[in-house]
Amino acid sequence: MKHILVIDDAATVRLYHRGILENAGYSVDEAINGIEALEKALVKPYDLFIVDVNMPKLDGYGFLKEFRRQDDALQSPAIMVTTEAGGSDKQLGYMSGANLYITKPIKPNELVNYARLLLGETL
Amino acid sequence: MAFIKKTATPIHCTEHDERHTERDFADLVAELGAENETARRWAVRDLTPLPDASQPLVARLAYEESASVRAAILNALAQIGDHAAIAGLIHCLRSEDAGLRNEAIEVLKAIPQHVEPVIHTLLNDSDSDVRIFAVNILESLRHKDVEKWLIDVIAKDPHINVCATAVDLLSEVGTERALPALKQLKIRFEDDPYICFTTDLALKRIEDGSQ
Repeated sequence: MKHILVIDDAATVRLYHRGILENAGYSVDEAINGIEALEKALVKPYDLFIVDVNMPKLDGYGFLKEFRRQDDALQSPAIMVTTEAGGSDKQLGYMSGANLYITKPIKPNELVNYARLLLGETL
Repeated sequence: MAFIKKTATPIHCTEHDERHTERDFADLVAELGAENETARRWAVRDLTPLPDASQPLVARLAYEESASVRAAILNALAQIGDHAAIAGLIHCLRSEDAGLRNEAIEVLKAIPQHVEPVIHTLLNDSDSDVRIFAVNILESLRHKDVEKWLIDVIAKDPHINVCATAVDLLSEVGTERALPALKQLKIRFEDDPYICFTTDLALKRIEDGSQ
């Protein structure tokens, strides 16, 4: 079973993403900000990250930049899911290490399809 | 003119002596641009109690790359709390720098007495992201009108993500007064799964809580 870490400061968003991804057969853990995500990701290998941008303590860009600097970490793909649709935000997302940048709100089938795509699974 | 106590040490040497150098307002403003990060941080700290400190601090914030100096400036602005300081903090909400935006949100959350007079303006900003940040700030405002403001947001705001953020908060602070607006929102965005999910959650929490 593939492991996914959902990183978002909003409990409802985490619950929404968790429900969708668990229904699709994935194991899901949650982190409430980039710091907690780093702590979890450095001790447990995740196959995919679903990352919000705006979070207290360490935002999504900061998490990805820091995580991508870790040589010994499994460099799994990351989907950045955010309310910000601006071109510069998207560019910053990719520069930080996101593999996909999606604007909220996201529909369940979209999230699952993107997850499968990045996990190399058959759609 | 205000001065900082002087010692005999020269300017720009170790981390400890910067603060003990005699500097007036203009010197401190100049020191905000010093190469030495510690010197900049001390300049922020020594400027904070002086009149008219907000404007140079806000101006420096736009260029400051050191996280610790930036944090010192944000905290100084929160401590000063005058019009220029609050305007500077609010301006950060429009920054391209997500880190700065989030730091500003956290600081604004900590000074509800200064945010309250401008929250209505922020909730009606033309930029939907700023409106989302305003809702995030409401989370800790502890004001008697928070629920009313959130109900207004979900009743009137045209942007789905602003409404979604408001519903998330309403599910925590909402009462039976929010029920009609939540039900109406679900109808307005009936095709959106997330709005339906979060609205159902809020409705359930409020209804369960009222029993």
